[in-house]
Parts: sequence; structure tokens; C-alpha cells
Amino acid sequence: MAVPEVEGSLLHAPTDQKYAVLERQSSSYKTLETFALEKEKHYQQQYGDMYFLRLTKLKPAVEKIAEEAWDGFQIAGETVRKVDRVLDVRQGELCWVAGTIYMEMPLKPNILDDISKDHWISAPPPRQKYLSPTGEDLTMLEDESGRLRLVGTPLANEMLVTGCIIAVMGTENANGDFEVVDIKVPDLPPQAERWHTSSPPTNGTSRKKIKLDEDGDEDMDKPASVGKKIAIVSGLGFSGTESEHSLEINLLVEYLLGEALDPTIQESVSQISRLIIAGNSVALDNEAVSHDTIGNTRKSHKKYGYDSSAYNPTPIAHLDDFLATLLPSMPVTLIPGFTDPANVSLPQQPIHPAMFPQARTFGPMPPTDGQPKQAGWFDTVTNPWDGEIEGWKVLGTGGQNIDDVFKYVESEDRLGMLEAMCRWRCCAPTAPDTLWSYPFQDDDPFVMSSCPHLFFVGSQPKFDTASIEGPDGQVVRLIAVPRFAETGEVVLVDSETLEASVVRIFVA
Amino acid sequence: MPATRRTRTSGGPVAKGSQKTLSFGNKVTKPATPSSTKDKAHTINPKVIDVGHVSSKAAVTEQARVEVEAIKSEKTPEEERARKVSDAQIKRYWREREAERKAPRVHQEDVSLEEKILRLFDMSSQFGPCIGIARMKRWVRANKLGLQPPIEVLAVLLKEEDKGNNKIERAHVDELMSSKFILGEA
Repeated sequence: MAVPEVEGSLLHAPTDQKYAVLERQSSSYKTLETFALEKEKHYQQQYGDMYFLRLTKLKPAVEKIAEEAWDGFQIAGETVRKVDRVLDVRQGELCWVAGTIYMEMPLKPNILDDISKDHWISAPPPRQKYLSPTGEDLTMLEDESGRLRLVGTPLANEMLVTGCIIAVMGTENANGDFEVVDIKVPDLPPQAERWHTSSPPTNGTSRKKIKLDEDGDEDMDKPASVGKKIAIVSGLGFSGTESEHSLEINLLVEYLLGEALDPTIQESVSQISRLIIAGNSVALDNEAVSHDTIGNTRKSHKKYGYDSSAYNPTPIAHLDDFLATLLPSMPVTLIPGFTDPANVSLPQQPIHPAMFPQARTFGPMPPTDGQPKQAGWFDTVTNPWDGEIEGWKVLGTGGQNIDDVFKYVESEDRLGMLEAMCRWRCCAPTAPDTLWSYPFQDDDPFVMSSCPHLFFVGSQPKFDTASIEGPDGQVVRLIAVPRFAETGEVVLVDSETLEASVVRIFVA
Repeated sequence: MPATRRTRTSGGPVAKGSQKTLSFGNKVTKPATPSSTKDKAHTINPKVIDVGHVSSKAAVTEQARVEVEAIKSEKTPEEERARKVSDAQIKRYWREREAERKAPRVHQEDVSLEEKILRLFDMSSQFGPCIGIARMKRWVRANKLGLQPPIEVLAVLLKEEDKGNNKIERAHVDELMSSKFILGEA
């Protein structure tokens, strides 16, 4: 049947016009297994080993900086002197010493409180901050020999939490407290060049020109950047009982697949070479514990390790659907978070592929003898995770490390805490004090031995980004990734400049 | 939801002989596994100690085994150096340590020279905590961190290891700290 061509009619024969096919940029990607634990784990060792390892690794670095800064420093004719151990500090002498910070806080969780909780009628609600409103908190410096209480104004200006390694200069007063004059931190670790351990792809950054049969409205759009993009999303919050933001998640899928919006945006979306999911993909479900009609917890009937009457598998099934829709188009890195089905203590190990019956088909090939382990198209990784994307060293966490440091300090500035972590050279200083951690005995992987180019944390209240510089020209891009379930925001990182921008998906 | 299946095996008391005429003998719900495969799956190698679930003593034993194997298979320069350390040198090392003190050590008269050296190493906190870690592992770790632990300690450890002394790897203070005292004994 011939369709008459009438001006203005939408009804017409199929055109033979050729449309260009958009191709997604490939991703150069490498996972480092810094935080992977052995299959056979021992728990007999003591946590003291971790503090020893951290202090031994970071002491030379902070002592070098302190030595340069305080060499020949004089107060009232007295020259500052270095002491090796905390206990060697003598009263009245001007000296400096390096050690580990320990915060004595009455409101910090205490194992003895946990035991006595069993005798209370109801447990106290979890605290927002450990800071005591009446100023009962003590800051101490410790090493293997002993502890020293720190006092003085510099403490108020410096962000300090348990487990960070610093050097302090000052003098012990008549009370036996150490009057701090100045504080030094290890500062940023040495940073490798981009493409340090992997080689750039040969056709690397030269972008394929895509001709579209559109009247050029490219100038209306902001100038398209040269590089690829990396998308980071956090806190997807798939829930078994609530579906408030399921529309936003569907729109996110359409956006990332290039099904939504106009061709110009689709073209920019094709530049997104990888999606990183930074923690809390599954929402915490308080209803998971079964209650009877008057609200008492019912005695659960457990079979095969779970209560089948209260168990709800839909959140992880939704997550699997979400991943299985995206994976044919783009590679995904999945970092577990606090609410995800992985172990609770840091470093969280990868979420098991058995959780994803559909998505796991995109997982890595089973390792063969003599072949280096290859990262899969769908890579479930540890938390914290470090790796290399487009040659940049990237360090990312699900957010627990920042959330725990947050409880120690007065400030609400999440980026400041991220920066402080880099300057302490430790990505989880409060582990193992208030942040649960595996008791490492051979090596403390939380110590940053080399400086990342990009450091992001998931599950933060709002998007924030900054770039910090180190004394030797190190540059680190810090990103706080907001929770998608609350903000509907996805972070896009430019792979050439590491500039971060945000895309907001909002259903009015 | 499937109907609840009740078996009388774990239920309440059954009046003896009250249901003799009923027989559930032919009701097989689960295919019985052939006994041969079952036996194979449940054979436990007695030499393998599951250190995740046992005392620190077993954990230390396991750690020591791993470390000794590693140090023997790799032929590290430290091991070669330690092998060359003579008994005389070990004695001289201890005399030097004793000379650093103003008074001789008391309560150590009945302890062997080797154990004295190792206990001093345990108490040298600059090499890290000594509880929950095998002495060999602690030495290797301190060496790796560049803390220069005395080579004589490794020599003593290797010598005792060759003698088959398996108690040498656990710090004495570890034994004291993790032992459970029973009142009324001794």
C-alpha cells in the first residue's frame, strides 16, 4: 500500500536514511587486590598488631616532615629536641615525638557497655557523634611504650581521630600533660604518574567522530569534552518493601543505556565507559525481623540458616535485574557498603556472584593456571577498593570510613575529612577502634603507600568535590558521592581532567 | 507454601507400642547417599588444624609451620646468615645483653640460654606485639619492616626448630595471658 506523502502528516513510508550507530567508549581498567583477604582467615591475632604496623610504616614519613619543619626551632633560647618514644618525654623539656592518636571519649561505644546492655530494658539509640558536649574528651598520643595526654590550642585547629599518626612538638607541663605547640601529619604519599603500571591503549584518547543527521545544535550544548566519563553512583537502596524511587532508578537505567533524552545527550552518554556502584545498593530493611501483631519479635523458625517466613529476597533480585539490564551495554564495578550482603568488617569482601544469577554471566572467567587473573566485565570488588581506570589510580570506599571519622570531629565538612585521610596516609584510621576491621598481622592495607589520583566515598548526604595538592606536586581529586535513593544524583568523572559533574534524575 | 511434614523422630513422646500397625518404612523423602562417597567427604585430615576456631596455641603452631616452610624453601639471605651463627656467638650476644644491665636477671636461673634470648626478644616491644604471633613470624615481620631484629634470635629459633622443639614458637607471656586458671588446682 502506498502512503500518500502529505505535508505535515506524520504518516509516511519508512525512509532509507541511515542513522549513525553510537558506540560506547571502551574502558581501560585494572583491579588491584590490596584489600582482598586470604580464603583461610585467622582471628586469634590481636588488634595491637595493626597499630604497631601502622606506626612503624608511617613514623619515618612523619618524622622526616617534622624534622624539616622543626629543625633548630627555638623557644626562649631552648632548641627543640627529638625523642624516640613517648615515654622518653621529660618534664619541662622542649621536644617533639611521633605516635598514634588515641581519643578517649566517654560516648564512644565500649564493649563493656555492650555487655551491660543485656541488662537494660531498652538499648540507647546509636549516637550521631561520639563528641562529648561537656568536653570530657581526651586526646592522647601513644606508641608501644606508653601514652601521653595532649593539651593546647593547636588541637582544636587540627582534625584528629583515633589511629592517625602525627608528630607533636611541645613540652610536658607540671600536670604531666603535653602542651602542644605544633602538629605535623605525614601528608600525601608519593604519587605515581598516570599510566604507571598499565599502558595506554594505542588509539587512546582520539575520539571517534560521530556524524549525526541533525542540524547542528551542538553549540547549544556545552562543549563536549574530549575524554571519556566514569559514572559513580551510590546508595541505590533497593528495598523489598518500599518502591519510592523505583521510577528514578528506571530513568537512571534509561539514561545510562542511552535510551532517554535527545541524540546530543545520548552521544555524551556514550562517553560513559564504566559504572561504579559505591556501596549501599540494598536498603537496610528494619522489617526483616518478623514481628507478631503486638510488635514483639517472634521467635524465628530458622531453616537453612534463615527465617523463611520473614526472608525477602526481592532487594537483591531487583539489584540483579538492574545490573543485568546495564551490563550488556557497559562494564560495572560493584563495591559493597554497610547495608550490602557482604561481611560487615572492613575490608568488606566482594559480594558473592551467587547473589546475581543473571548478572554473574558477565563475571570473570574462572582462573586458569599460569594466566593472570582478569577482571570481569562485571566486577564485584572489595570495600575499600583500589584499581586503575584509564591509567589513574583510584581508591574508593562504600563510605563507612568517612561516616566513622565524622563521629569523632565537630566539623560537618565531609571533604575536609577526605582530605585529612589522604594527609594522614590512612584510608580508615578509626579501624579497628570504632570501625570494625579484620585483625591484620602482616600488613596494614589501610595505609596508603602510594597516592591515588581519584579518591571517592559513597553514601554521603550530598555531592561535593575538590582537588587537593601535596608538597611534591601530588594532585588528588576528592569526591563525596551522594546517596541516589535520596538525591537522585549520579556523579560523572571526566577521565582526562578528573573533573566531576553531577546528573540529577528527578521525578516531579 | 508446602504442607508441613511431620516426622515423629523429634516430636513429643510417643506411647510405646501405640502405633505399631502403622508403617512409614516405605516413605523415603531423601535419596540415601551411598556410604562410600559420604565417608570420603567427611574424612578429616588430622594434620590440618582449623586455626580459625581454636585457641591461640594452635594458631601460633600453624603460623610457625607456615613461616618455617617459607624460610626453608626460599633460602633467604637471613636464613643463611642465621645458619652461620655459632653457639659461641649466641653466648657472646647474651653476655653483651647481660652486661647492659646493672643487676643480673633473677627468677631466670632455671631457664635455658635459648629461652632467655627468646624471652628478651618477646619483651622488646619495638618489634611489635608478641601475643598471638609465632616468634619466627614476628622476627620475619620485624625484619621486613626494617627494624633490624637481632640475627641471633633467628639462629636460636632455627636451631630449636631443627631439634624438634615445638614449644619454642609461642611466647611465654602468650601462654601466661591466654591460659585459663582453674581454682583449686596445683
